[in-house]
Amino acid sequence: MSKALKSMLIAGAAALTIGSLPAVAQQANTLTVLRVIDADKYDPIRSTATAAAEIVYMLADTLVSIDFDMQTIKPLLAKSWEVSEDGKTYTFKLREDVKFCDGRPMKAEDVVYSLKRWTDPASKSPVSFRGGPVKDIKATDDYTVVYELKEPYADLLFQLGLSFASVVDKASVEQLGENFGVQGFNATGPYCWVSWTPRQDFVMKKNPHYTWGPEIYKDPKPQVEQIVWRVIPEQNTLMAAMQAKQADATYYMPYIAIDTISRIPGMKVQQQKNYIYDAFMGFKVDKPVVKDEAIRRAVNMATNKDAIAKAVYFGKGAPMQSLLNPTVLDFDPKSASMMPKFDPAAAAKLLDEAGWKVGSDGVREKDGQKATFTVYGLRNAVNPRISEAMQADLRKIGIDMKIQLWDATVGWGKLATQEFDAFYMSYPYVTANEALNLYFRSTQTPTPNRMNWKNEKTDQLLATATTATDDATRKGANAAVQQQLTEASVWVPLVSEPMWLVTGERVEGARPHGVYGAGLYKGLDIKLKR
Amino acid sequence: MSDSVVIPQSPVGVQQPEADRIVRRPSVLLLLLREPSACVALMTVVTILLAALFAPWLAPGDPYGGDLALTLQPPGELALLGTDGQGRDMITRLLYGLRTTLMIGFAAVFIGCGIGAVIGFAAAYYSRLSGLLMRLMDVLLSFPAILFGLAIAAIFGPGLTAVIIALSIATVPLMARVVRGAAIVVMQQDYIEGARALGMSDRRLILKHLLPNCLSAIFVFVTLRFGQVILLGAALSFIGLGAQPPTAELGAMAADGRNFLFFAPHVSVLPSLLIFIIVLAFNVLGDALRDALDPKLNK
Repeated sequence: MSKALKSMLIAGAAALTIGSLPAVAQQANTLTVLRVIDADKYDPIRSTATAAAEIVYMLADTLVSIDFDMQTIKPLLAKSWEVSEDGKTYTFKLREDVKFCDGRPMKAEDVVYSLKRWTDPASKSPVSFRGGPVKDIKATDDYTVVYELKEPYADLLFQLGLSFASVVDKASVEQLGENFGVQGFNATGPYCWVSWTPRQDFVMKKNPHYTWGPEIYKDPKPQVEQIVWRVIPEQNTLMAAMQAKQADATYYMPYIAIDTISRIPGMKVQQQKNYIYDAFMGFKVDKPVVKDEAIRRAVNMATNKDAIAKAVYFGKGAPMQSLLNPTVLDFDPKSASMMPKFDPAAAAKLLDEAGWKVGSDGVREKDGQKATFTVYGLRNAVNPRISEAMQADLRKIGIDMKIQLWDATVGWGKLATQEFDAFYMSYPYVTANEALNLYFRSTQTPTPNRMNWKNEKTDQLLATATTATDDATRKGANAAVQQQLTEASVWVPLVSEPMWLVTGERVEGARPHGVYGAGLYKGLDIKLKR
Repeated sequence: MSDSVVIPQSPVGVQQPEADRIVRRPSVLLLLLREPSACVALMTVVTILLAALFAPWLAPGDPYGGDLALTLQPPGELALLGTDGQGRDMITRLLYGLRTTLMIGFAAVFIGCGIGAVIGFAAAYYSRLSGLLMRLMDVLLSFPAILFGLAIAAIFGPGLTAVIIALSIATVPLMARVVRGAAIVVMQQDYIEGARALGMSDRRLILKHLLPNCLSAIFVFVTLRFGQVILLGAALSFIGLGAQPPTAELGAMAADGRNFLFFAPHVSVLPSLLIFIIVLAFNVLGDALRDALDPKLNK
């Protein structure tokens, strides 16, 4: 299609959008951010959704912050910390100038309450395991918190930087009960809760007391008076709304539109190169057909990841040539070299040697078993296209992959069953140890260890890595797990999904962050031109 | 079907021979061909059916094999109607999509109308069953087809079978109502009373007299319903409950293209246009058939 026609279509859509959306973006010093999905609630310990994290990071703070490189821990509520020799005790010295949105000063007891609420199994939080094997969390004075572990936990500082470990106001939690994070919220973040209309918009205003932003930002104070997070589920409408200047920022721009948007005067497009959000296909290793390592390896070899990254992500995604993202802490380059390269002919040869012979219908068979398997996934913007591309690739080597994609409303439930042989998933993570523990520990079956991977060696290595008190031991054990899983082809790593922050002409100082999918993180340097 | 007769008005005072006074009504096809819109609709339907039937011979490419390096190509030299998101030729996908869409329509209409007709005749003929059957139909009518689709997809999983079952169930009460209404009118005719007096069995009476005399109503309903079923089937596939990859289906194809509507509109627009043409053609044909089969409207 000609560029002129394309521009006309987008301009037309933008014109329609102007008429259909209220003119919030034009309000002075109000930043409007567009996103495609809302969370079910905004209680840090109750939701694992990225949509919750991006809001909670602005409403609340954590003891430590994570730098833009996704590898460095920096102070936030804790101005310093010490780790005992045995790696079991972390002592955090807190800032003394921190205040909640209601003006009450934050003390160590608030931190203790919040961290205990997160890690206590009685709270039934789906993310309590992230706090590690907690022995006790206590305040030794108003500004000192001691976090005691039963055994060393290498990931603790990174986990304390995630939104799940946010410090919240006990009075607010107790007053609102089940409605905490639904009807209101009081914490120490740069912005304060104003209102939430589910599936429509979330409004937050500047915390007037806030001066303790992490040093990863130039200015420790929020610059924008109000932020409105608006949900526009349809990507074309979102794109048109940005172009019509109905909003100031989004990191949910469809990949196909990135180049076009970047050419529009006033629009700025930035990529977070260290963003970690990877898409993969996992196999249930105890299911017929895919329990055969030769099948799993052949699928890995027959999948053209480069072509998928170019066609499905329009060249904006990076093909994954390793189990984990190369930018993540404890990434193992040796395991990456063990990952089978794209080679359909070698894949076919491997299947031949494994006894999978091509049948009359072009699908391979072995001992009366057809080389066919069913993959489940969520029906999102990329899964339909990735799955069809893989299906075509696998058909060429005689494997019949059946695709069943589900709407998110039922999809998560379906993905918790044993009905399927393989599944599509994309996920954020901060360290290799976190990703491996999350997905491959035996205790994590049936979900999130949907692969049913129960391996003693993996468990031992992960325990070693997690409890290591020195970097070399942790790195070595995590590397061994990556090599073992790569060798067993438990996953087909597909594409590292990029984060692109698009901002309009009013916006200055915005920079994509992306921890746990939160593109703006604290959003501190963002200013709006008058 | 009983022969319909038209008695033309005789000029006053002019006596005509007995044989000339009874004129056979022209055939339905002839009546259809007299109406330009019906003629175009009929030709469109025939073309669509032939295209679907001979898709494997007409299609220039492989409906399932694409080239990811050639995705979303606009209509042009490379591919006359462009390529889709998997780099597959759009003409090929449209032809195969047409087949699947029509297959869904035929299957759902055949099953739904078949069951609906049996229920309709039973309700009309056996008055004791009428209340129960028709209340049951009222219950079914209160559920939208999309809801049936969601429920059945939840039980059996998304796919063509789920769509066909959902649309068949949605068709049953409509057909039952139409058939019952038509059958009750026919039941009041003297020849039915006569057949009963002669001791004709229920089964024979229904098959020999009731069914043939209700066929025109059934035929018109089937034609009109076909268009609706196509539309509903496409809608179910559009929301992901119908055809699963790599099956080509017009609704699913329209859904595939919606994410790049501004950049490659042909991927969504062409299947949508085809759905529009099919539904329009069947609706116009259904209307024309109703007119042609109704002697009052066609004097």
